[in-house]
Amino acid sequence: MFEKESGLLQGTVELLVLKTLSWGPMHGYGIASWIESATDDVLRVEEGSLYPALYRMTRKGWIKAQWGVTENNRRAKYYHLTAEGRRQYREQTSGWRRFADAVNQAINTRSAPSWAK
Amino acid sequence: MSDHRQDRDYRFVPPKPETEVDDELRFHVEERIRSYVASGMSADAARRAALERFGDIAAVREACARMLTEDRKAEARRDWFDDLRQDVKFAMRSAARAPLFSLLAIVTLALGIGANAAVFGVFKSVLLDALPYTQSRQLMRIYSPFRDGTQPKGSLSAGTVSDIRERQHAFSSLGAFLSPRDGVYLNGDTPQMIKAMFVEPQLFRTLGVTPARGGGFRDEDALHDTTTVVMLSHDAWQRLFAGNPSAVGTTVRLNGIPRTIVGVLPRGFVPPEGTADFYQPLGVKLFMTNPVTIRGSHNFGFVGRLKPGVSEEAANRELQGIGAELERLYAKDNLGIGLSAVSLRESMVGDTRTPLLALLASAALVLLITCANLAGAMLSRTISRKKEFAVRVALGAGRGRLLRQLLTESVMLAIAGGAAGLAIAIGALALLRGVTIAAIPSYATLSLDTGAILVTFALTLATGLAFGAGPAISVGRSDPQRTLRDETRGTSESVRSRRMRGLLVAGQMALCVSLLAGAGLLLRSLWAMTSAPIGFEPNGLLTVTLQPPGGKYGTLVARNRLFDDVLQKVRALPGVADAAVVSQLPTTMSNSNGLFIQDAPWGPNEPVPFISTGAGSEDYFRTLRIPLKQGRIFSTTDGPDAPPVIVINEAMARRYWPKGNAVGAHIHIGPPNPTAPWITVIGIVGNVRNDPTRLAPEPTMYLPFRQSSFGNVLAIRTSGDPIALTSAVRRAIATIDPMIPLYKVSTMNDVIGDSFVMRRLPVVLITSFGGLALLLVSVGVYAMFANMAAAREREFGVRVALGSPRGAIARLVLGQGGIWMAAGLVIGAGGVVGAARLLRSQLFGVPQFDPIAIGAALAILLLCAAIALLVPVRRATRVDPITVLR
Repeated sequence: MFEKESGLLQGTVELLVLKTLSWGPMHGYGIASWIESATDDVLRVEEGSLYPALYRMTRKGWIKAQWGVTENNRRAKYYHLTAEGRRQYREQTSGWRRFADAVNQAINTRSAPSWAK
Repeated sequence: MSDHRQDRDYRFVPPKPETEVDDELRFHVEERIRSYVASGMSADAARRAALERFGDIAAVREACARMLTEDRKAEARRDWFDDLRQDVKFAMRSAARAPLFSLLAIVTLALGIGANAAVFGVFKSVLLDALPYTQSRQLMRIYSPFRDGTQPKGSLSAGTVSDIRERQHAFSSLGAFLSPRDGVYLNGDTPQMIKAMFVEPQLFRTLGVTPARGGGFRDEDALHDTTTVVMLSHDAWQRLFAGNPSAVGTTVRLNGIPRTIVGVLPRGFVPPEGTADFYQPLGVKLFMTNPVTIRGSHNFGFVGRLKPGVSEEAANRELQGIGAELERLYAKDNLGIGLSAVSLRESMVGDTRTPLLALLASAALVLLITCANLAGAMLSRTISRKKEFAVRVALGAGRGRLLRQLLTESVMLAIAGGAAGLAIAIGALALLRGVTIAAIPSYATLSLDTGAILVTFALTLATGLAFGAGPAISVGRSDPQRTLRDETRGTSESVRSRRMRGLLVAGQMALCVSLLAGAGLLLRSLWAMTSAPIGFEPNGLLTVTLQPPGGKYGTLVARNRLFDDVLQKVRALPGVADAAVVSQLPTTMSNSNGLFIQDAPWGPNEPVPFISTGAGSEDYFRTLRIPLKQGRIFSTTDGPDAPPVIVINEAMARRYWPKGNAVGAHIHIGPPNPTAPWITVIGIVGNVRNDPTRLAPEPTMYLPFRQSSFGNVLAIRTSGDPIALTSAVRRAIATIDPMIPLYKVSTMNDVIGDSFVMRRLPVVLITSFGGLALLLVSVGVYAMFANMAAAREREFGVRVALGSPRGAIARLVLGQGGIWMAAGLVIGAGGVVGAARLLRSQLFGVPQFDPIAIGAALAILLLCAAIALLVPVRRATRVDPITVLR
């Protein structure tokens, strides 16, 4: 859902996962559902591609997985942020904001450049 | 790092990566289906929609499983190293808690491993390292052995060398040489003794050696009677020319004749026999012109390179055929002489193989005993640490983990011991390089290279595992619950570990008795050699060799006059009782000549005997105190123009004139020259053992110095310390001719000692290994009895309380330990037989199973064991029932 079709960068997925987990531990299904609803279903394509991203982030040491039990008493693999993950979350959020602000500022500007006829 | 350790300690086994990924993905899809069903979809439609929304489930599954597998592997590796680090830290702490034990263990291991590393270093450089030639496995040394076995490594005559060349097909290339000889090199104005060796230019080609500098010999260099070119060994180039590259091409004076240096041999090159500083080109053809020497003088060494695909056996078969043919064609000179080839390594290794194998075996025995001993000590430590292990098992440490911990402890002790042992070995080899230059083949470097260090390291690890394994297994088997519950038994010993300790002691006894028996046999043999009468009085004899330059003293008359002057001056010195000149001192005689007796010619099937031959001045026998048995010795009138005479020893007289009519007999000595006048035997002197390692003296004959052309060694009988006279002798000779170099100044006892070095060194080493083993075994026996007595202390207390006499308790303890010791000795009998077999070729004057040597070995071992067990057994009988039972 996040990679090829939507044209979103891999880093964006990771940022969104970090954001989701900043509320607390969650399983893959929960993460996917939350991202979709939080982005008003804009990113709603192929949920499966979330999982390689989760494993990659585990390997980088940003998140850790542990098997737990859901409210409906079903076994699920819960991910939570590590200390490094929290740091990444803070850094990447502010980085994204600066980036988005800059792009927004550029495309919202009304004053034309000097060479514009 | 901290949190993964936490996870691991739950010790739950994670499911396979594929299963885990499947579980996770299934959960996702099922949750999605549930949400669709909840919003009103049919089950089927919900499943289809969920799967579609998920995407390529197979690809996701594969990618995730792959990553998880890799992560798990990486984690396992990290864990392994973490565990190791933990084990090592723990091992160091536990070693530090018992510093005396650790220190003793490390010292014992250092000695054991050091001995092995040093001996292996020698063994490897002598027997395993490549010879300094190209593809040396193809190289063979050709000998001319006497069929009666007296001279297995006989040299070849010039005729035989060229006949082999013409007839053979097995070798692609052959090169002849003459043994290195002393020569005089004029270094500025100072004459200096050097070793010079004649080699055919083809010899270097055969060996596959090209000069490191200069062009080397050309074939035509060997065509002249007087050679004008020389080559230098790398060592001589460094020593005499300070490694100056411009030495090549310069002219030097060697033996009084100017010669041009045409090359320097590569570093590490040694000739196939002896060592040499200078090489001179040899032309065998030149020797073919003299009808006497062509086949009568057997003094050429010969080396050949086998053609590819030709086996040693095939070459030997061919040589045997050629030898038989030459024997037929030239029966007069070659009768009783064959031809054979042995690998060049075999010929250069010489007699060192068996002593080295014996040394290696005894060093290995010492290390095995060390292992058994430390295993016993570790066992005791493990027993006293039983509680500690039980607690760790109870807290969740796996058996495997505990085992690994114990092995880590023993391996770490071994590594510490191995490192110290390596240092010992390096030191020992450095020492050895200084001592035994003569005893060890010249190509052997006697150093520990990477290979030897790796072998030592492997040996160290194996040692650590070996002595740690027994105790580790015994811990693995113990029951933590019982150990923890049964507090009073905290230090007692289980039947199983007692049996293991008994076995270890039995093994040590077996190994030790074999080693001691071997050492005993060698010691007895050495004693037999050194204590048997040598035939002359070596004490108080000073020996000096002079090298009168050939040009000035070329004639017999000139040499006689020179040595008359020298002896007169030397005799006049205070402290000198007698002085004589001789060709070669006893124990170093190497010349031998054929013997032909007038009126008793050798039959067609009788090979000409070769007799050890020397030349001495008329006062030689008096100076050395060799008694005259019959007839007379030389006098000053037996000069160059007088009828030729000879003195023989008793062994020769008895062998060739069994009727006792030797004095007055007429002989010729080879090479046979029918025109020469007969030599008259004028006297018989006492036997002198020329090879002190052989008890039977060999037949020897002495020519008068005045009539023979060789002899340049002074033997000086002194009244005080012989060496103190050295400078006086030097000055006296310098007043006659300052250009005569003096060398090999030493006492006769040192000369004899040098011929024993090869015999003595391995005996000394093996004996000290035996002493070390004896000490270790005593400690092992002590520990066995001490533990046994401690374990049964309460029982003995009860017995004493019930009225058992102390003697009965002593019998009980002795019986229990004695069985193991006896078992060890029974097993050891096999080891003794093995040791005697291995050493058979090294024994002289003692039977292979010498009861004195073997009995003494057994007695010493039992005595030491008895002393070792005395204290613990006494302690067992002194048990106070009140203190024990309270």
